Amino acid sequence: MNPVISARGLTKRFGRTLAVDHIDLDIPAGRIVGLIGPNGAGKTTALKAILGLATFEGELNVLGKNPARDRASLMEDVCFIADVAVLPRWIRVWQLIDLTEQIHPGFSREKCLEYLSHTKVTPDHKVKQLSKGMVAQVHLALVMAIDVKLLVLDEPTLGLDILYRKQFYTNLLNDYFDEQRTILITTHQVEEVEHILTDLVFIQDGKIALSATMDEVQEKYVELMTSPQKAEQARGLGPMNERVMFGRHIFLYQNVNREHLADLGELHTPSVADLFVATMKGGEV
Amino acid sequence: MNRLIALMRREFWENKGAFRTTPLVIGGIYIVFMLMAIFTTTHIDNELYTFKEGINALAAQPAEMRALVIGEAMLGSSILFSVVMSFVILFYLLGSLYDDRKDRSILFWKSLPASDTLTIASKLLSAMFIIPAFFMAVLILTHTLMAIIGSLMVLSVDGNPWTLFLSVFNPFKAWGLIASSYLAQSIWALPLYGWLMLVSAFAPRVPLLFATLPPLIFAVLQTWIEFLRTFTLKNNIVGVIGEWLFNSPVILTAEFDDGRGGIALGIPLTKDFDHAVTIANMLDRLFSLQMLSGLVVAALCLAGALWLRHRAAES
Repeated sequence: MNPVISARGLTKRFGRTLAVDHIDLDIPAGRIVGLIGPNGAGKTTALKAILGLATFEGELNVLGKNPARDRASLMEDVCFIADVAVLPRWIRVWQLIDLTEQIHPGFSREKCLEYLSHTKVTPDHKVKQLSKGMVAQVHLALVMAIDVKLLVLDEPTLGLDILYRKQFYTNLLNDYFDEQRTILITTHQVEEVEHILTDLVFIQDGKIALSATMDEVQEKYVELMTSPQKAEQARGLGPMNERVMFGRHIFLYQNVNREHLADLGELHTPSVADLFVATMKGGEV
Repeated sequence: MNRLIALMRREFWENKGAFRTTPLVIGGIYIVFMLMAIFTTTHIDNELYTFKEGINALAAQPAEMRALVIGEAMLGSSILFSVVMSFVILFYLLGSLYDDRKDRSILFWKSLPASDTLTIASKLLSAMFIIPAFFMAVLILTHTLMAIIGSLMVLSVDGNPWTLFLSVFNPFKAWGLIASSYLAQSIWALPLYGWLMLVSAFAPRVPLLFATLPPLIFAVLQTWIEFLRTFTLKNNIVGVIGEWLFNSPVILTAEFDDGRGGIALGIPLTKDFDHAVTIANMLDRLFSLQMLSGLVVAALCLAGALWLRHRAAES
């Protein structure tokens, strides 16, 4: 099956800076991909290229289209939430629904109203009367009512309180995601998304630092928690990262013989956040 | 086509105040002034003696004369609508490609499967046709209300409004002329509309400043260089823009210096075109060399606006 997104040598320059530096990337259908990187790593720039919002160098193919040229027709199969605050403030909810219905071929009014019925939002509300969390609910209801192949979420929960954030991802996973659809998420709140991701892409200084499925991550990376006495021995096995927590030394290894490690202490699958920190540190050396 | 209509509805929703409320306010002002005049008359003269005299004097005039007065009054009363409308269009277009960049809702609009070309078209067409349609509709409503109030007044003093003024002039003639002039003006003003949209797509802030400053600076430089060269003050961009305004195919002047109404297209200070209010004179402007060059300017500006819009969400 053709990948939903396929990039070869994707590059974006701002003046002399390379915001995205020759990225190669393939994202197949039916995945939930987390695009994770520090501020200024090029995540949003890469997403903008994918969404046809920015020009770029290199090859980029999204659902068989060149986004820079065919944004309008691409948007029939792609939806995105750029961040929580981009719905026009003057508009009423019923107007948003009307408009999306007339412009988007795959929009279902019933579905949208059904999602909204679980919230406090009414069709007569103006966006500017709603709280940030409610605006996010409206946007999510709109987007989930559209039948598209690719959904792109760029920091979709930024500035929302924890209740809304949990609800947001629960809705997304339960009501929306299926094998036909692909979701691409960037976020700083890695802990919130790591349980729903199927794939992980780390991006640093415009380059891909890691690209793996979550299964591969579990296979490849392991975290060892050990006592200070055994730390020296553990260090000798070439960990990617070391940190100390409550007097215990925690080492993160890549492609290491687990049987050797098991003798030294407890083994865990590392969290995405820890893996991220370790990978970013590795990149700095 | 459905998408274009949807986008134009969006323009109306966003600018309801400017599109609909503004002409209603102007119409309201006319009605209020008329009612105030009536109350003043009845207050001072409760027998309505002078009013009856006035009606008699009017009735004594030949029908053609009455038709002329009514026609000119109808055309002349459109001036306030037209002038305010041009300001509404000015500010609408200046905000058209700027506001959503400023509040970042452009990211939402760009997530819809509507092309940038369609978006720009929806805004330009709103300025060219939707806004004039609202102003025209309210103008007709205002005229109708004024005719009804006037008729009631005439009836109240046992006059016959039908023979006095209703039957002598076909209002559709005036409305047709005004509507045609609005359509002609929408085409005539295209270079300006294109420029405003270009500025709206480009301005990092305060589009009004960016729209007015460059031509002003250019004009000052041009005038200065021209003055150094020829020691005269002619042929500069202010002159070009001024003449463009003077030649507008929309009714802008009402002179009463010769005792009779002098309603004219644009401002009759230039001799390039005939300023009499006729469809032929409107068409004359639209099929002129000036118009052709104006369309070139409009096309360049709109192409620039489209290019900028395409990249508007980049950073």
